[in-house]
Amino acid sequence: MISDLQNLLPILAQGFGTTLAIFGLTLLFSIPLGLLVAVLKMSKYKVIRYPVAFYISVMRGTPLLLQIVAIYFGSYYLSQSAGADFSFDRFPAVIVAFSVNYAAYFAEIFRGGIESIPKGQYEAATMLGLSKSQTFFRIILPQVLKRVVPASANEVITLVKDTSLAQVIAVTELFALAKKQQAVYASIFPLFVAGIFYYVANLILSVFFSYLERKLNYYR
Amino acid sequence: MEDHILEVKHLKKSFYDSKKGREIQVLKDISFNMKCGDVLSIIGPSGSGKSTLLRCITQLETMDGGEVRVCNKNMVVPGSNPIRYAPKADLAEIRLSTGLVFQNFNLFPHLTVLQNVTLAPIRVLKLEPHSARIRAMRLLKRMGLESKARAYPCELSGGQQQRVSIARALAMNPKVLFFDEPTSALDPELTGEILKVIKSLAEEEMTMVIVTHEMAFARDVANQVLFMDDGVVVEKGTPEYVFGQSQNERLQSFLSRFSQNG
Ligand SMILES: Nc1ncnc2c1ncn2[C@@H]1O[C@H](COP(=O)(O)OP(=O)(O)OP(=O)(O)O)[C@@H](O)[C@H]1O
Ligand SMILES: [Mg+2]
Repeated sequence: MISDLQNLLPILAQGFGTTLAIFGLTLLFSIPLGLLVAVLKMSKYKVIRYPVAFYISVMRGTPLLLQIVAIYFGSYYLSQSAGADFSFDRFPAVIVAFSVNYAAYFAEIFRGGIESIPKGQYEAATMLGLSKSQTFFRIILPQVLKRVVPASANEVITLVKDTSLAQVIAVTELFALAKKQQAVYASIFPLFVAGIFYYVANLILSVFFSYLERKLNYYR
Repeated sequence: MEDHILEVKHLKKSFYDSKKGREIQVLKDISFNMKCGDVLSIIGPSGSGKSTLLRCITQLETMDGGEVRVCNKNMVVPGSNPIRYAPKADLAEIRLSTGLVFQNFNLFPHLTVLQNVTLAPIRVLKLEPHSARIRAMRLLKRMGLESKARAYPCELSGGQQQRVSIARALAMNPKVLFFDEPTSALDPELTGEILKVIKSLAEEEMTMVIVTHEMAFARDVANQVLFMDDGVVVEKGTPEYVFGQSQNERLQSFLSRFSQNG
């Protein structure tokens, strides 16, 4: 058992590295993209608002699994039929799929946060002569961040678990490697160890988020 | 004639009422002038359009007709019909010469008291942060709030929050300061401190327009009183005239309702 673990750990740790890469890159891209999408969804122009609403509803209304497959294979077939020779590598396809998917979820959270800021905050800022962008970045956004932390924490924790979907296009993240080891050892022990990896990662995240919530509690 | 700091002529404003499915004219034809150092109190029943009037003059709402001049700058192109607003740069300049104190303060909750007061002077007037802080501390001291400079708004009483919001408005050096029911959101025992601050500003010749339901205060602090009802100016004059001599029936019935309610 101990020697099993000694063989297993380096392999799973490598898979966990991939898992972390998917996790980190997805957050890196999806949070700013989500903020942009949230702002666009509140545009006063229908030509902007409607397509953005459609994008969000598709992202939330279809399985992420399907989206990963669609982006990986779809990009290939599309470029073939256009006579080009483009296709995503597996890993970038996963990052693109995760980022556009999570951006849609973050966008809805951010939009809720932005809309929950009272009109009086905008009016006070306007009366003081602050520009639109000063108002957004100095008055609105800091207050939105505080309000969206709990809901965003849920998404982030779900993301840790969702990374396992990357195996559908044979990206060798933690879960894919654990499953392979399960066959090698003919035991569910590797899966159990993988489970511990996910669990500990999320434990750390929830400690971090409750710290962040407390930190942001300096005002109400 | 030219020494008017605020001129409002034939101001009109309608809102679309979705329940009735038509436009409702909230301000029908409002005209008045103010000279430097004037203090005008505006009284009138709920729904008579007092807030809307302040919001039109401070550009939080657009008006449909009439003219507004602040410090001899036109907010709308004179004689334009339908009205056309002045160029953006003029409007920004006019906005900076007007300040507004809200009924519910609208302080920025994520900023300290000091940051609330210094933010716009630093970002908009481009003051050095150091001198902005010195000026802000002087204002806070006037408001009796120096010790609260590092506190957050949620740690203050309503009366203290309202004094911060007055300091925040004053920090921009407005030429005219507007108050929309500055004491209505406060417990009765806290209104006194706000009224005292406004009175001391009046003594320093700050030009102010104050919408209020505090009749005694409206009479004491102002040198002009304007009584609005149903979107029109019904009576206008000195406090002695409006609260004493005027025989206007609508005014009489409004004031008698007040003395009954306490
Ligand atoms: N944004 C708006 N849309 C539609 N109607 C509005 C809007 N703002 C105000 N009104 C209407 O305009 C009328 C005047 O409102 P206003 O708030 O100016 O009155 P007020 O004199 O300030 O009253 P109060 O003493 O209660 O504050 C009211 O009938 C109100 O319903
Ligand atoms: Mg009002």
